[in-house]
Amino acid sequence: MASVELLILFLVGAGVIAYILTRFNTFLGSIFTIFAVMFVFVSLAGYGFGMNMDTTVNILPGISFTETYLGFYFAIIIVFVYLMVSFFHPYYLSEYKYKNSYNLLFLLSLAGILGAFYTDNFLNLFFFFELIIWTTMFLIPQGKSKEAAVSYFGFSIAGSVAMLIGIFITYNVSGTFSIYQGLAALSGTNAIFVFVLFIIAAFAKLGSFPLHIWLPIAHGNAPHPFSPVLSGALVKLGAFIGVLALIRIAPATGLFTAMDLPIGQYVVAILGSMSIVFGTLMAIKEDDAKKLLAYSSMSHGGYILVAFSILNGIAFAGGFYHILAHALASAGAFMAIAAVARATGTTKMKELGGMIHKMPITYLAYLIAIISMAGIPPMGGFISKWLIFQAVIDKGMIFVGIAVFFGSVGSFLYVFRPLAALFLGQELTEYKKVKEAPLLMLIPTFILMGLNVYTGVFPGGILKFINNIIVELGYTGIEVSTYEINGTNGILNPALIGLIFAVGSGIAFLIFIVLKKSRKVELMDTYTAANFVHDEHLLHYAVDFYAPLERLYEKQSNWMTKFYTALAEKVRELGKLGKYLFMSKNISTTVFWIVAIIIFLLWGEVL
Amino acid sequence: MILNILIGIGIAFFGFVLQTSIAGINRKIVGRLQKRHGPRWYQEFIDIFKLLSKRSITHGWIFDFGVIMALGGIIATAMFMPLTNNFLAFENFDNFFIFVYLIAVGMLGMAMSASGSGNPWASIGVMRALTTMLAYEVPFLIVVLTIINLTGNSSLTEIMLYQQASGNNWFLIALPIGGLVGFIALMGMLGKKPFETYVAPAEIASGPMVEYGGKQLGMLFIMNEISAFIEVSLFVHLFLGGATNIFEFLIKYFVVYTLANLISSVNGRFKIDQVVKFFYKWPLIMAVTQAVIAIYFGWVI
Repeated sequence: MASVELLILFLVGAGVIAYILTRFNTFLGSIFTIFAVMFVFVSLAGYGFGMNMDTTVNILPGISFTETYLGFYFAIIIVFVYLMVSFFHPYYLSEYKYKNSYNLLFLLSLAGILGAFYTDNFLNLFFFFELIIWTTMFLIPQGKSKEAAVSYFGFSIAGSVAMLIGIFITYNVSGTFSIYQGLAALSGTNAIFVFVLFIIAAFAKLGSFPLHIWLPIAHGNAPHPFSPVLSGALVKLGAFIGVLALIRIAPATGLFTAMDLPIGQYVVAILGSMSIVFGTLMAIKEDDAKKLLAYSSMSHGGYILVAFSILNGIAFAGGFYHILAHALASAGAFMAIAAVARATGTTKMKELGGMIHKMPITYLAYLIAIISMAGIPPMGGFISKWLIFQAVIDKGMIFVGIAVFFGSVGSFLYVFRPLAALFLGQELTEYKKVKEAPLLMLIPTFILMGLNVYTGVFPGGILKFINNIIVELGYTGIEVSTYEINGTNGILNPALIGLIFAVGSGIAFLIFIVLKKSRKVELMDTYTAANFVHDEHLLHYAVDFYAPLERLYEKQSNWMTKFYTALAEKVRELGKLGKYLFMSKNISTTVFWIVAIIIFLLWGEVL
Repeated sequence: MILNILIGIGIAFFGFVLQTSIAGINRKIVGRLQKRHGPRWYQEFIDIFKLLSKRSITHGWIFDFGVIMALGGIIATAMFMPLTNNFLAFENFDNFFIFVYLIAVGMLGMAMSASGSGNPWASIGVMRALTTMLAYEVPFLIVVLTIINLTGNSSLTEIMLYQQASGNNWFLIALPIGGLVGFIALMGMLGKKPFETYVAPAEIASGPMVEYGGKQLGMLFIMNEISAFIEVSLFVHLFLGGATNIFEFLIKYFVVYTLANLISSVNGRFKIDQVVKFFYKWPLIMAVTQAVIAIYFGWVI
């Protein structure tokens, strides 16, 4: 039996040891971190699937745990992403200014993750959330910019505060901090209030429209090994709160009869759709590979929200499967980009080109990850998108349909951009000496490649586990056998698709191999319409890849940035007013205001 | 299972022969339209076999790997395609989304290979192809959403049977606006003018194809023919009631492809941003209108 409490204490202890070890030797400390995370992952995987974790609490005061399929599903995915990323630490940490604390904070945030998904108490949940935010907040600025951390922290805190107010309302109504009893006791107007507050928290954490502005800033500037954690793991906290709000609270608002859906859920679905469209358009436009993937996370967050707002088993299965598929795909893609960034020192696509010739395995990892991200079979992303499409079509949600189809096709565009500009194209002269990533970094790469394919070919087992979560949430699960998935309007056999794809490729390979062998020529030896081009950079098409398309929405693309800049400006002005009123040089004015405010606050209580 | 796979391979091969022949006949028809004789109907076969027999160049492993992935993906997609309502390789598994998304593997392979050649024309062509795809796919999928919502099934065979059942019309008649959108989207999928922007031989030197020759080009030709077969068959099954026997299928197929080709031969070419603007204006509005009146009001002829 593995005890949740002991695992958390173990992580805290391991964090301290990692701190000391890293201080003496970065490599050693990072290896220790890998083993610590691996231990937690193995304990979770060994006991958690059968719901055999020990949830008794003996040492930690005021904390209580319980075991749910929902919490475990999130926990295992996130711990897995942490494990994969920890393999990158030995090669990146030495560059960072505060490398000693990196492993400590990393392990502490993992402790927060475990606590947050296993607790049954709202105050504990809030505490563990804050633990995650505060630890990760110090990890992000070790990358490129300190402002990224401010932006991340600001939005996370806004979300947390919204959640805290929701928790207090729940406590006021139900008289308990227990998550499940508390949410069950809500009704009427209170339920709507708490629903809205929790949705705000979910949007802030998930980085969904209109609270998405921090996502590209934080992802793009975070340390390279931390971006996969942010995108693959931490934004999923938002999905967790979203599930609590959309399914557990589900306030009794009016019903859209055409779609048989409550208005609250429909509004969230529409906002999720806007997230999809907005994220896709911005990702197409983006030049920094990491920011591009950050916008893609925003768009995938939209899919998750859409899935959970359609209240039936198929949609939930799609949403939960999408969380897994996107975590694997985005971790894979971000880690491939991180490997490139380590070798070249940049993530700007216009500065890169032809990396495939030096880093073929990293290229394959990226390729498989984006195939999954774009929802193309035979990868995991296809299964989840297929399930979500089923639900959307079945409900006849036309406008949400436009968004999910647009996002799905649009994702081909943006994921192809790094492929073409960064990995393919001309081999630029300045990167001729680059080497493939070291073996230790290739281990997680291979594991992620394998899992991306596995989730796309044999989803049966995972979907059966997801059925447990759906039943736990009070809905009926989907019909799934070893190879087949039964949707509302069709059957899918992913293994068959995988097999047929292999057959097709086999035939194509046969045709290719029996024909005459080709002569190898240099990349520069291309058709140039009789111009003599001597420089690789001139033959590399990477800048403004989708220029004609970008021009169509160029003017609209910075609306949200402008809005937040204006908002920041107004807040600053308000601060100036406050400073002018209360903080004047004349000391007596300040004292007067302090006294006045104290009297105002105490009015009716003491006075 | 082995038998089913063999039937699937047979369907893919049949699709290749059918589309290549019909494309050859269409070259003759377009020739007559332009007051010339046009090539023989089997000219396309000659072209492909000549290319396959030639020795060619390669730009590295991704250049070849992409071509194999492209042809493999398209053959795999074609293997799922039903020809008539009882002739298909894998019963119950002819799900509509397989065709839309498995075909994308082939497209991705081709795009990858083209970009891997290191020629900027190729990358520009790929960029245009993907942008065109973003344009036509959304209106088309909205119409299909309507169809699947009405029939309650996304299996192509079931959609065919629904249209053939007494009392129901072909979806081209039942959903006239949607049918029109479907046809315009088909023109985009086939890369017919005015949506031919991504090939544009006179402008970007055939775009993605610029660097190819020999067997790679021959394989991409085969891929192109099979994907045209998939796209036209999709239209036949979704909007024209499918087919009860193979001759019906052949007639419908021929009519649809020839019509698309005739329209193509009297049109100019859009610029790429015009393609996007066009599709997100009328076809999308029409598709949404059709979806709203069919799903929410239930007005289906």
